[in-house]
Amino acid sequence: MSTILKIFVFPASIIIMCYGVLTILGGHITPGGGFQGGAMIAAGIIFCLVVYGLDESPIKLSHDFMAGLESAGALGYVFLGLAGLFTSGFFLYNLGTDLYHIVPPAISAAFNYPDALHAGIIPYLNFVVGLKVLVGLSAVVITFMGVKGIGKDYIDDEEI
Amino acid sequence: MVYVGPLVLGFIIGFILGTRIKQNPESKLKFGASVFVVLIIVAILMAYQLGPFPYYTDSPFANGFLAALAGIIVGKLTLGR
Repeated sequence: MSTILKIFVFPASIIIMCYGVLTILGGHITPGGGFQGGAMIAAGIIFCLVVYGLDESPIKLSHDFMAGLESAGALGYVFLGLAGLFTSGFFLYNLGTDLYHIVPPAISAAFNYPDALHAGIIPYLNFVVGLKVLVGLSAVVITFMGVKGIGKDYIDDEEI
Repeated sequence: MVYVGPLVLGFIIGFILGTRIKQNPESKLKFGASVFVVLIIVAILMAYQLGPFPYYTDSPFANGFLAALAGIIVGKLTLGR
């Protein structure tokens, strides 16, 4: 890739990632949410991977990091669902808003998202989904680029 | 009144991403402090143009955007080496 691209892409990818975070955070008010924001963050990471390559990319996602973040996202979602099940009897019950008034106020306050709308657990669900999606989409591209690099060793150009 | 939710969650996601930014010592390109200064200026302008979410009346900026950038920079400085 050209030097101009290499200078421009890293700051641009950080801006793209910040915009993805904003999309995740506005999922309960504006169009967007966990999947869309996570995809935008992954787009920033993939932007770096395409331009700098897998080895020289300044944003490096290790296997352990990806496995940990993916697991944390999934477990966070299950935890929020089970918290609703154990306290109210409904899986994924919105403890923060508590529309049926069946949850103690202390638990309701603990799960309430502190912003202007008090959307309950919805922003937290967007958050954990965003973590899963950003890792999942990045992992696809990282795997493809890695396999492409491994494939070079096994392909015999003379036979082709 | 400042809404804490987007600030905290934005900072956490940004911090997670910032810890993954690691410069390659063999690469000729170096992204030093000047790049991050330019990033901060651009991010403040962009956050002002984006504006707050609907029903948010705490500030004229997109707080989550700035929190994410702050998280990225802090994550890079602390663990992203």
